[in-house]
This record gives sequence, structure tokens and C-alpha cells, in this order.
Amino acid sequence: MLQFPPWKIGLIAIVLLWGVVMALPNVANMSGAPGWMPKKGVNLGLDLQGGVYLMMEIEPDEVVANRLDVLARDVSSALGGSPSERIRHLPELKGRTLEVKLTRPDADGNFPTQEALKRLQKLNAPVGGAIGGAQLYDIRITSADTISITVPPTAEESLVKDALAKTMTIVRRRVDPDGVSEISITPQGDNRIILEAPGEPDPQRLKDLLNRDGRMTFNLVDSSPAAIQAAEAGVVKTGYRLLSGPTTAPILVNNIPEITGSDIANAAQSFDEQNRPQITFRLNGNGARKFYETTRNNTGKRFAIVLDDVVMSAPNINEPIAGGNVRITGDFTQQEAIDLAAIIEAGEMPAKLQFLDQRTVSPTLGQDSINAGYTAALIGLLAVAVFMILAYGMLGFFAVISLACNIVLIFAGLSGIGATLTLPGIAGIILTIGMAVDANVLVFERIREEQKEGRAAWTATQAGYERALSTIMDANVTTLIAAVILYLLGSGPVKGFAVTLAIGIVTSVFTAYVVTRMVTVGWMKVTKPKRFNI
Amino acid sequence: MLIKYWPETTNLRFMNLRIAGALFSMVLIAASAFLMVTRGLNFGVDFAGGTVLELAESDAVNVPAVRAAMPINAEVNSARGTDGREIVVVKFGEAAPDMLGEEFKNLTAEQQAERASGATNELVVRTLKEKFNLADEDLLRNDSVGPKVSQELFTDGITALVVALAMMLVYIWFRFQWQFSIGAIAALAHDVIITLGMFALLQIEFNLTSIAALLTIIGYSMNDTVVVFDRIREDRRKYKKMPDREVIDLALNTTLSRTLLTSGTTLISLFAIYFLGGPVLQGMSFALIFGIVIGTYSSIFIASALVLSLGMDFTKKEVVEEVQGFTGV
Repeated sequence: MLQFPPWKIGLIAIVLLWGVVMALPNVANMSGAPGWMPKKGVNLGLDLQGGVYLMMEIEPDEVVANRLDVLARDVSSALGGSPSERIRHLPELKGRTLEVKLTRPDADGNFPTQEALKRLQKLNAPVGGAIGGAQLYDIRITSADTISITVPPTAEESLVKDALAKTMTIVRRRVDPDGVSEISITPQGDNRIILEAPGEPDPQRLKDLLNRDGRMTFNLVDSSPAAIQAAEAGVVKTGYRLLSGPTTAPILVNNIPEITGSDIANAAQSFDEQNRPQITFRLNGNGARKFYETTRNNTGKRFAIVLDDVVMSAPNINEPIAGGNVRITGDFTQQEAIDLAAIIEAGEMPAKLQFLDQRTVSPTLGQDSINAGYTAALIGLLAVAVFMILAYGMLGFFAVISLACNIVLIFAGLSGIGATLTLPGIAGIILTIGMAVDANVLVFERIREEQKEGRAAWTATQAGYERALSTIMDANVTTLIAAVILYLLGSGPVKGFAVTLAIGIVTSVFTAYVVTRMVTVGWMKVTKPKRFNI
Repeated sequence: MLIKYWPETTNLRFMNLRIAGALFSMVLIAASAFLMVTRGLNFGVDFAGGTVLELAESDAVNVPAVRAAMPINAEVNSARGTDGREIVVVKFGEAAPDMLGEEFKNLTAEQQAERASGATNELVVRTLKEKFNLADEDLLRNDSVGPKVSQELFTDGITALVVALAMMLVYIWFRFQWQFSIGAIAALAHDVIITLGMFALLQIEFNLTSIAALLTIIGYSMNDTVVVFDRIREDRRKYKKMPDREVIDLALNTTLSRTLLTSGTTLISLFAIYFLGGPVLQGMSFALIFGIVIGTYSSIFIASALVLSLGMDFTKKEVVEEVQGFTGV
């Protein structure tokens, strides 16, 4: 127990040295250090550096409904075709079911449901693209004139998974279009996303960016005054909607878009001839061709660029436009134009995001918390040190040395596993300072008892360390259990507390039991005391 | 030792006081239960949902002005901020649906329930920013939790407490005997209930960090109890003829100076957090200070006293071997 062969001393020294190297970036600027040394200190949680935390969710019901809504457009083309092939029908989305009602029976009064079912089945695809797997849609005839399309549970699971992945990409592209910020976007569970933006003071801008569907369409416009007048009186022409925009009076917009968001290759903010911010975007090959055809067939008419049911721009088509370069000028600030370009380029959200949990801490408050935590730790450490030295003299001093090693190792551990230091985490470190000396106290009390029974310093130390071990292990394992549970079930700052507590328990057993013992033994070899003055 | 903080040998008859201790604890538990039912816990936004805003106080921004400017019912209070400056704390739930705009009114009831909290937050922040011409940095904190997440956080917190207690029960059972297991769990439950009673009495905000504090109290109290149990087991084996009551008193007396020293250093650290760590950590450190005192008390008067009442038996050979469990480490 009291023998420390050179290899053991070397090993302990290596652990402590590793601790110093790992913990160093927390107190010193490492920019000039050699390449093998770590440069970055412990990650600070949002409560310490300030920033925005958002927890968002997509609803599976909405993912399914949106998917069926998209499918409704395909249904129309599947049942359409030349007049002889056409099956007249009316699609209607009822919650999670798309009902296709056939509207025209044949001469015998029968509806061509079998033929329609055969054509609709072609829209079906295996889940996840695997051949022979479960089908994406459940398509069946539910009455003499109705075919119902639903999404079965297995397909829904994979739809939601895809939607979450797609949403994360869109979130990333919208909030961080240049890919340079420190914003972290992580999935949680099956349908949640957590966004953490350090240093961002205002959650509203992020929420505004993420709140929009991002559904971008080019639609033809019916600009006959009579139709608009009728619509404003409440009679909207079938197949059209009355929409307006910040710079556009109400116009009648065709429900079926000519160009959609998937036809857009990229979008960016730039300036027009008068140096006003504008949004320019380029259509991909398919989009550019469609756009050329549309403008050629509708020269002289108007078309509308619609984003989330708001008309962004409604220019006249003066001539066929080739090349697929489009721009939107309007009354934007530069930031608005940048944000809109990011939204247009990122594409349409598979489902609307719900904001479940939102936390913002200003960077100044974060810095104040760091300062307060630092002061509390320093005072706590000093007070404990004085207390231990007063109680145990030289042995108490050794315990304080190992306590200092412990703090270095905690920071090294936090850096090493890339953990995040939060405000409750700082409390965890301070608490560990108080509790870490417990192992030393247990040993010293044992040594004192052994001395009282007449043993000399050396044998008393031996017995003290041996007897205290099982108690120290039991006591620390139970606290470790609490810390692990806290980590597994806790969230955010509480997780940070659990991590520092757990690391502190492991390092404190090492420093209090091993480092203190080594220092004590070394000191005893030099001074050869008969008794400890404890 | 350099200071005589405690007599070298004490011979306090703790177990003579165990009936009195049990009565005292029962009164505390009953009072805690009563307080929790009548006053209830002061749930923070983590568990109750809603929003809490913290604004830096200034000539224009003060409690009456903010109260007057609020578009909906809210609790507006003054508090001391981390660096000593005054802050205004605004706490509110959800606004009526017709205040949240046309788009909100058209949502389904289910969607409204989920979005109300966030929409109200936006409404209030916009109103206050316009009214007081606030910059982003004047808004020190803006936390808003929806009903779904607050419910989940609460369930997770309770689960954490229950799972922690169960794991401790199993560990002590494995390392000692079932009597010790019962004693330890009773002591932990005692600590948790009375600390919750304290939260209810003083209406300290009960939030996620409070759950962390409760788990730490469980860990600390367990730590303390295990040290005493270890000694009881050791002394029981050493003094075969001594009655249980005397063995337990002896173990408590020999561990007493350690108990007081460790509680002392831990309390020093906690008082440092309480007084210097800023308001965010004040509730947590208060709970811990209280819990450490109550946890030290319960190791003696609940855990050890229950072991005495239930009886223990270390004459079997395999139990003695189990005691050696860790000495080979």
C-alpha cells in the first residue's frame, strides 16, 4: 500500500502532466504553442457565453398531410390525359386520408374505379426505395365512387425520418447560408431538432427565418378587371386564389404553379441599378426550360412570384425569357433580402416547425455568471484549504495539494471528452471541491485512530489507507450512480452539472487516494516522523 | 491536530434519542406534506410552461412601468442581478387566442395549444421592445417553454429521482444487507420529502436545477450513510458480544468527526456559491445547504436507527467474505 515503485510514480506523473497540458488552454493563450498541444479550452454552455437555444418539432400528422397534398397534384395528372383517357374526379384531403371521388359514371351508371385504381397504383413506391418492401401508400376502393389513399405506419416512420433530415438541412441553410457560424443543429428523438446559436442575442430573427414554409411558386395571373372585382366581392373564380403582397394590390393567381421551389438552383442577395437590395435567382435546366415555355405561351400576360401565399412580385411578360435568371426587386432592407434569398434557396419545409422550448441568455449575463462562479470557486477553495490545514496540519496540506491536482484534472477531463461547462456545472465543481476532501478525511481519521491505539506513523498510515478504501469506494459509487442518472435523464444545463460531478468523483478518488498517499509517503521517507501531529 | 475542533473521543448515546428523532422526523414529514398540498411548489417555467423575461433596470424600465406596459396578465418583480445591478423579472403564461393575430386564430385547437406559449412570448417581447426602445442586450434572459416540453421535463425529473433511489436500494442491498437497504432508502426519502417541504414553505422556484440539487442531496446523504454503515458493519464483526445498540453508537461516535469535517468543507463551498455565485445558483445552493444538514441528521436518526430496529446479522460466513469485497482493489 505504501510502496511506490518508479513505474507507478511515473504513471501518476504522466496522468498529472496530461491533466496540466489538457487544462492549460483554459487559463493561457495557446496560439504560440507546439502543434501537439490542445488549443481549445472547455466549451462553454449557452448560459455562460450567451445565445439562443431553440427546441423545434415537426408533427408527423403534418408531414403525412403535406405529402398527400403533393400527391394530389400527381393524382390529377395520373387520371388526366387526352379526353378519351380522362377520368373526371375530385381529390379531397381529409386529415390523413386523400379521398379521390370520381365524378362521372359511365352509361350504365358505374364509376371506372378499377381503372382509376390501376393508374393510381403507379404512383405508389416502396418505402425507402427498397424493392419488395412495404409500399408508401395504401390505396384502396372505399365505396362505389371513392378511392382512399392513406400512409401506413411503417411508411410514416420513414417519411418522418426523411422529413427530419430534410428539415435539418433546410434549417442549416436558412440560419447559416454561408456555413461559417458556430450554430449547432442536432436531432433529438424521432421528430425534434435542437438549435444552439452561441452569441446570438435575439431569438426572433432565427424564429422568423424558420417559421416560414418557404413554398416558392411562379403562377399565372388573371388580371381581367371583372374577375378581380367579382373576387373582391367574394366570388373567386374556380381554380384561382386572391393574393396580395407588400408592393402588389390583390390579384387573381392560378392555383396550379408553373414553376416550383424545386426548379430553383440558387438564390442570392444583390443590388439593382439604383443600388437597392434585390434578390436574384437562377433556375435549373428543367426550370429554365419550363419558364421559357411559359413566358413564350403567355407573352403579354402577368405572372406572380409567390412565397408562402404572399405575392413578392407580379411583372408583365413582355417577351419569352430564356436562360432562367430571375430577380425580385422590392422594398427590402439588405438583411431582409439576405434572409429571403436564404429561404428561397433552402427550399420548402416538409412540415411547419413548432417551437417547443426557447431559451435566450444575453452574452453580458453569461460573462457575469462566469465571474461569479470564478469568485465562488476561489473563495470556496481557499476556505476549504485553510480548514483542512487547521484540522490536519501537514497531512491537511497534502490534501490541499491533491485538491489542486483534482481541479486541474476536472478541467482536463471536461476538455478531453469535449463536455460543455454550464453554470450548474461550475456549481458541480465547487461542490466537488468540498466533497473531494472526504476521502482524505476518512483516511486521516483512520490514521488518527490507529495512532491512538499505539501504532507508529508508518503502520498507522498503512492501516489507515487500507481500512478506508472500501468505505471510500462505497461512498463514491453511490454518488456516481446519482450523477449518471442525472446525465441520462437531465437536459441542458443539468447535464453539464452531472458531467462535472461525475468527472469530479472519479478524479477526486484518484487525487485524494493516490496522489495524497504518494506525497505523504515521500514526505515520510525524508522526515521519518514517529507520529503525525493530527 | 492543530485545532481541537472536537473532543478526541465522544461517547454520545445517539440511539437513546431515536424515538425522539423518529417523532421529530414524522412531524417534519407531515408538515412538508401539508405544505406541499396547501401552498404547493412554486414551479418555474421548466415545469409550469410559460415565459420568464429578465430586463436590465433603468430610469425608464422599472417594475411599475413594465407592469403598465404588459399587454397581458403577468407577475412583474424586481430582483438583484448577478453583478449587483437591479433587474426586472417578468413571468407570464399564455395570452388569449384573439390577441395573437389572425394567423393564430385559424389554427386547430391542438396547434394553438402548442404555439400559444411561443406566440405570447413574441407578442410581449415586441410590445416591450417598442414601448421602452430596448436593445437586444437589455433583454438579459428570455426563456419560454411550451406545455409539451414542460410536461416531459417534469416526468423526466421525477423518473430520475425514482430511478436513483431504486439504484441506491439495489447497491446497498448488494453491498450490505436488506436491513441497511431499507434504512438507507427511508433516510433518502425522508431527505427528499423534507427538502421539498422547504421548497413549498419558502416558495423557492422549483425548476430543473432543483431536481439536480435533489439528486445531489440523495448522493451526498447516501455517501454519509454508507460511511456510517461501513463502520457499523466493521464494529459489529469486531465486538461480537456487544449489543447492537452500543455497536451503532460506537460507530456513530467514531465517524462523527469525519461527518462534521466533510459536512463542514462541503457547506463552506456551498455558502461560497450561495453568497458569491449569483442569483441563478442561489436557489440550488440553498437547497443543497439545507439538504446536507438534513442528510447528515438522517444518516444517524433514520438510517442507523432503522437498522437497529430491523436487526442485523453478520455471523454468516459469506457475508464476512463480501465485506472484503473492495480490499483487493
